[in-house]
Order: sequence, then structure tokens, then C-alpha cells
Amino acid sequence: MTEPILAEGLVRKFGDLVAVDGIDLCVAQGEIFGFLGPNGAGKSTTVRMLTTLLSPSAGTARVAGFDVVSQAAQVRRVIGVALQDAAIDPIMTGRELLKLQAVLHGIPRRISRERGDELLARVGLAAAADRRVGTYSGGMRRRLDLALALIHEPRVLFLDEPTTGLDPTSRMALWEEVRRLNGEFGTTVLLTTQYLEEADQLAGRIAIIDGGRIVRKGEPEALKDAVGSPTLRIDVDPEYLARATEVLEHFGEMRPARSGRLAIGLDGGASRLAEVVRALDAAGVVLNHMELDAPSLDDVFAEATGRRLEGAEETQAPVEVSG
Amino acid sequence: MTVTAHPRPSAVAQAVAIAGRSVRGVLRQPPQWVPSLVFPLFFNAVSAAAFDRTRALPGFPEVNSFLTFLLPATILQGVLLGATAAGNDAAVDIENGFFDRLVLSPMSRVSLLGGRLVGSMALGVVQVVFFLSVLSVFGARLENPLAGVLVLVVVGALLAGAVGAFSVSIALRTGSVEAVNGFFPIFFAALFMSSAFFPPSLSGGWFETVASINPITWIVDGLRDVIIEGWVPGAAARAIAVSAALGVLAIFMATRSLAARIRT
Repeated sequence: MTEPILAEGLVRKFGDLVAVDGIDLCVAQGEIFGFLGPNGAGKSTTVRMLTTLLSPSAGTARVAGFDVVSQAAQVRRVIGVALQDAAIDPIMTGRELLKLQAVLHGIPRRISRERGDELLARVGLAAAADRRVGTYSGGMRRRLDLALALIHEPRVLFLDEPTTGLDPTSRMALWEEVRRLNGEFGTTVLLTTQYLEEADQLAGRIAIIDGGRIVRKGEPEALKDAVGSPTLRIDVDPEYLARATEVLEHFGEMRPARSGRLAIGLDGGASRLAEVVRALDAAGVVLNHMELDAPSLDDVFAEATGRRLEGAEETQAPVEVSG
Repeated sequence: MTVTAHPRPSAVAQAVAIAGRSVRGVLRQPPQWVPSLVFPLFFNAVSAAAFDRTRALPGFPEVNSFLTFLLPATILQGVLLGATAAGNDAAVDIENGFFDRLVLSPMSRVSLLGGRLVGSMALGVVQVVFFLSVLSVFGARLENPLAGVLVLVVVGALLAGAVGAFSVSIALRTGSVEAVNGFFPIFFAALFMSSAFFPPSLSGGWFETVASINPITWIVDGLRDVIIEGWVPGAAARAIAVSAALGVLAIFMATRSLAARIRT
């Protein structure tokens, strides 16, 4: 069977800037594939190439077996796309937009009406269907955008940062819908995100992209296991940073941390925590905060790039907190 | 929901859907269409009051009222004001990302452009009928009403399509509402430097020279002959042919701009 998404050596340049630098990608049928990376990593540019909105500068890509350059029209018939900014005409109503989208895809009127009603109900917009989209909240617009992407029952669904800017409730609802689509209909999904938790929760496999290149690829658990030891993070006042660093170096390898913090991969894991606390205390270091996290995708990202994913620490719930 | 294969979309159905969206979009935004109906009438009323006695000048076309003389100018003003909405809407679509959604659907490029222009032309026809209805109440006369209405409607539709295509072309090139609006004064300057508001032969000098090579003069003069003299095939053909030629040129530009925007 043809892979729904297959890219080889995909490159996109904007003048001298190389936004995507030789990406290889193979997404299997029925898979939710997460594309994780910080802003400007090349996620959206890759999606725009795979969805025929941008021509690659080099390399090839096939979606549902069709070449994205020479068979762009065929690609557009089998994909559904929800772009980063919900692309919706505010003057029209939700129902009108679904009808328009159905006509553009050649769906017979009777079927489009049924399917439109079904989709509106499923994304929780039945009551707001006849209101102009300009009156919708951000979450409602995203859900309508998803419904628009699904009206023609696409074989491959591209979701470009679908939950950016959404409140936690709307985010959860959208995750649930993506899971349902994938579980019930086997829709292949490529999802880009800058949220670690989103990639962890939804994707069966992920690729971590940075600077236009894929730096890690695989199942989230396998990638995290490969990092090894859990990450110990401590927060101290600046005058203690040097002394604390000296102590921590005895317990494992230093890892990238947010400014004002220190992090190590704690050899031996939680069983050595008390020992670390005693050593820091003996060195006269006053701790403000301390936490031990099981390896996360942020650790995978840090291990691959030497940096933390922007804002990642705020999105992580520590498994154990003390100090 | 089961995955099914849909028939190849109909380009005509797509174009009709896009045209419907254009018309609906304009109607739902009164600031887009109210000025295109009100300002030309206001300008017409002021000009008729101020310059009515110029009809007595030797060389001025024999008309029953200055309103009749200004009928082509009123229609052209309305069409210029109204049809730029197509470019505005296209630029807004690009700015808010809806254009990407349209491009991502399997719609033909002809439908994408043609639908908008058909929407513009439909609004152009409504404008012509509106101006004719209102001005005839106040004394404007068509020598041969059937021929006059027919030619005015056809030219109104063609010009609305031409101006719409030109403004869409600018929108596709720049992706900016400001850029589309920035070109609007050029249309109006071209209208003022024609025979629309006063016979150039009575002005003389550089104005007469410029007006004589301005395609809008050729359209206005053709329309005016049909309005004043009745069915004049040569005049009707000239007005229609020049409008159609401008339309073809503008559609060519818009097609090139669309290709350039899609092939990014």
C-alpha cells in the first residue's frame, strides 16, 4: 500500500534563508504523526509544501501516492487541511462555508447537507451554524476550520498547530475529535505543534524539527527512553549557581535549562535524590525549588539541539516536587 | 462517515458558488455598495444643477436635460466604485488566509477568478438598472429605451468585470487591501479625463487631447450616442468593443497574477 505521506530530501529556500533543509518523512496509513518544533523551525513550511501551497526548492514529496508538484490537483482532492490561522471568511455563516466547501469538492447537495449537519453537530457548532463566523470565538473558529477540512472525507488530514491560542477546554475537545477521526475512520493525520504535551498525547510517532532539519524521529516513548535518566531541575539564587553546578556535576550530565535554573540527567534516578539534597546542603546552597521529571520530549529536544523548547517547562507537570 | 470518492467537481458549479459568495459578501457589507449608489447620484444632481445652462453652448450635444448627458458618467462612476469591491474582497481573503483554503480545494483556477468576476458583473447590472430607474424619474431620457437599456446593461456588466478583474489582479499581486484602494484614484482620474462630464471639444487644449485618446471617452461617446440618438449600431458596437477589450486585458492581467500567486 502506498504511504499516505512520503517526502525525500525536501528543501525550501526563501532567498538565502533555508527554511526546510532536506527533510525525509514517511507517514504510515492510519497513523497520527506529530511534527514538533519551536516557532520558525520549518513545520508550517513543510506542511505548505505537502499540501501544494508552496513549491519545494528541491526534493520530492508524494501525498496519497500523488506528487505534490506534478499532481497537485489530485493531491488537493484527497487532503483536508486546517492551517495555523483558521482561514475562515467572517462574513459568512458556518453552514454557508461548509456548503461552499462541499461545492468546491464536488459533493452532491443532498450528501453535503447531511454531512454538513453531522459535522456541525460533531464539532459542537450546530446551534451557531447560522451565525456569521465573525461572531465566533477562537475555539469555535478552529472547530469550524476542522469541520471544513473534513467535509470531503479526506484520506490525509493536515493540522498545522491546531490548538495554538486555544483555552485548555477547547484544546482537549479538539484532541478528542482528532483521536476519534483517527480511531473510527482510520484517517491519517499529520499534526504540527509546539506543545510537548500535544505531541505526547496524540501522536503515535513524532519528528522533532529544528532549524529546518529533523533532529529526532520515532515513537515518543522510545525517544524518551533513549534519553535515559530523569531530569533533575533546581532553582537557586544567582549567587549559588556556580556552587550548585559544581555539586550537581557529580550526579550526572548537565542538561540545558531555562535561564536561572540548573538541570542534570540524574544517574540512578529518584533513589539518589536525597543524596543530592544532602550534598547541596553541605555545600551551603539554598534551594528555592527542586523537581525531578521523568524524561520528556523536552529532554529529547534538549538532548538533540542543546536548547529547551520555548515555554516547554511551563507545559510540563513534574512527577515529583520538593524543596 | 465513510471515505467515498466524489465525482470531479463541476467548474461551473464552483464558479456559481464563488460568484454567489461575492454577491452575498458585498450585500452584507453596506459600506461596500451604498456609496457606489449614492455618490454618483449626488454628483449627478450637483453637476446637473450647476452646469445645466452649458447645454446652450454651441457644440454641446442636443439633450433634453443635463441628467441625460451625465447618464454614462453616472453609470461609470457607480461601476468603478462598486467593482473595486472584488479586489478588496480578494485582498481580504489573502490577508485572512481564506484564499489558501480556496486554493487548497480542487477548484479550477478559471472558477476561482471567473466566479468573482461574474459576481462583479451581476452587481454592475444591478447598478445600471438602479441608476436608469432613478434618473428617468428625474427627467433623463433614452431615445430608444429598449436599445439604450440593453447597451447600457451590457457595457455596465463588461466594465464591472474589467474593473473587477483589474482590482483582483492588484490584490493577487500585492495581497494588500491598501494597495487595491491605492489604485482606485487612478480609475477616477481616468474617468475625469474623458468626455464623461463635459464635451472635450468645448474645453480644448491638453484636456481635449488627453480625452480623445482615453478609452473611457470612446465608451462614453458610444453610450451617449445610443442614449441621445437611439439605436446607432456603430456607436453601440464601439462602446461594447472597447469595454470588452478592457475586460480581456484586465482578465489577462488577473490570470497572470493568479498564476504568480499560486506558483510560490
